[in-house]
Amino acid sequence: MSEAKKTQLSRRDFLKIVGIAGVTVQAGGLVASGVAAGKDSETYTGWESFNPGTQFFNRKPFEFEGPAHTPSGPVTRPSHLTDYVFGRVAIFQKGLQDHPDWKLGDPIEAMGFPPPLTKFYQTFPERLEWDYKTFTETIPNNKMDTKLYGNYYMLANAYSSGFETHGAYLPSPKTPPEVSDFTKFARGMPEPTPIGPQVPFKSPELASDFIKEIAHRYGATLVGITKTKIDFFYSEGWAGCPADYDFTKLPEHWQYAIVIGVPMEWDSVLASPQASTSYEAYDRVSTAAIRLEGALKYMGYAARSNTPMTSYDLIVPPFAVEAGLGEVSRPGYCITPEVGSNCRTAVVVTNMPLAVDKPIDFGVAAFCNSCKICADQCPSGAISKANSPQEQEWTSGSSIRGYEHWYINNGACYNFWRESMGPMGCRLCVAVCPYSRKDNWVHQFVREVDPRDPTGFTRETLLWMQKNFFEKPQAIEYRRVAAGGHFASYRPEPSWMHAESYLNIPITSPHTGG
Amino acid sequence: MFLNGSLFWYMMGIIFVVIAFAFKAFVEDRGWVLTWWKGLIAVVTYTIFSLSLYAWGTLVGENESGAGFKFFLLGLFVTLVLAVVLWRFLSAKPKNA
Repeated sequence: MSEAKKTQLSRRDFLKIVGIAGVTVQAGGLVASGVAAGKDSETYTGWESFNPGTQFFNRKPFEFEGPAHTPSGPVTRPSHLTDYVFGRVAIFQKGLQDHPDWKLGDPIEAMGFPPPLTKFYQTFPERLEWDYKTFTETIPNNKMDTKLYGNYYMLANAYSSGFETHGAYLPSPKTPPEVSDFTKFARGMPEPTPIGPQVPFKSPELASDFIKEIAHRYGATLVGITKTKIDFFYSEGWAGCPADYDFTKLPEHWQYAIVIGVPMEWDSVLASPQASTSYEAYDRVSTAAIRLEGALKYMGYAARSNTPMTSYDLIVPPFAVEAGLGEVSRPGYCITPEVGSNCRTAVVVTNMPLAVDKPIDFGVAAFCNSCKICADQCPSGAISKANSPQEQEWTSGSSIRGYEHWYINNGACYNFWRESMGPMGCRLCVAVCPYSRKDNWVHQFVREVDPRDPTGFTRETLLWMQKNFFEKPQAIEYRRVAAGGHFASYRPEPSWMHAESYLNIPITSPHTGG
Repeated sequence: MFLNGSLFWYMMGIIFVVIAFAFKAFVEDRGWVLTWWKGLIAVVTYTIFSLSLYAWGTLVGENESGAGFKFFLLGLFVTLVLAVVLWRFLSAKPKNA
């Protein structure tokens, strides 16, 4: 009897065994639930969403009285001829075609560039070297690489092309602001018609609320409002304006800037620089802006969209920062709390009276000073590795156009664009940025804790983990094969971009050479 | 989806209560005293262990398996340190014993 009692399981022993089993079940359940949380499509913030819930970060505790940009020296406005890389390289390309014997080291004046561009190249001689290299080396190399490896990126290019094609149908202003901004297109009307009388709102605050609501419903992930400032408008070349247009002052109706932003798709953007595409967000943000322009004009207010698929009369990041969307980052664009660097922006300028937002400080400046991951990863060296914007190696003096801020070498950046494969562009700095992450609990936790930690301990711990835990290619690996790379991407292309799985064509992988 | 749903977390909560009672029984059967602060250390230790597992899974779901595993190892290390500390506290004899 006593022997039988000894082998019988007591209630307490049973409880302890159940406890051990519970730990095992919880461990398995937590890992499985974590995997589900990591894959959840709900974490793809703003991708193809049309509701205000995408702007979920409470900005109130981080707001400050603007402006976020204060001049530190004589202010000059950005130029389509110099600062805008596509405008500059187009002129450079034309110059090279007209002067095919011109070589680096020859007098730049011989190229017959507009005086501001000649002066720019004299001030920033490394930009001249990069632009020259782009057309004499990089583009010819890229043509050879495309013959070899182009088929590997066929599906990525086809995907991108869908957005690019739609974007090409979006209208750019064809007449000066005094005409185009006061006329609207309507279905069945071959010519634009004048907008009607202004419909007054009860208050600017209510007008802003309404504009933000519909902006989200038009596809904007983020929206903020600020006043316009001439310092950040191009000094020439506004869409639809003749060369003799008076660019020295803003049209009276360009009073408010409504800034909107959308992300690129979260999986494909991680396949930067080769397989991702900017066009998916360019198309969406441009479409949302033009919809918004239509709504403003319907209510009788002048409006003009500045979008990546149509035209820009201004540079967007300063307006995005002033409108409280985020903060300026090391690569010069705006980092936002919700989508990090993965934010493509557009601006609608209007004369509708609106309540403006305040800029925010949620710790990006300190983070960027310390992080440098984008600068270390960038294979072109276009992003400064300095400890602060004031210490950048390629600024003339302590400011750019009168403001102290980060400034990339866009000649080097563009050069690598033209070297990379797949859809045009790079986006590597967006992909590697620790802020550009999907909205799962890990990143929600970090997003809320880091800006509230005055000691910087959270930031430094996160950076340590980011640099030591997350695998990434060496910068050289992103480059072309002949330059010692293998056209690496930050993360592998999504499986639906694998041309060899779908297409019956000869495919050579740059990663394996076969 | 079940693994993200309320039912899953209710079940996790129930299992956690069972684990807590089992731990209490284990401690008492060894003749140790489970004070509130020792219990708190036990909860913190188990929470860190659980979070490292959950974070591992989340990063795997994000296709960051390598980072997930390293994160889990870091969490496991902290868990082990805390567990040893807790064991020493629990098994320590009172000074006047």
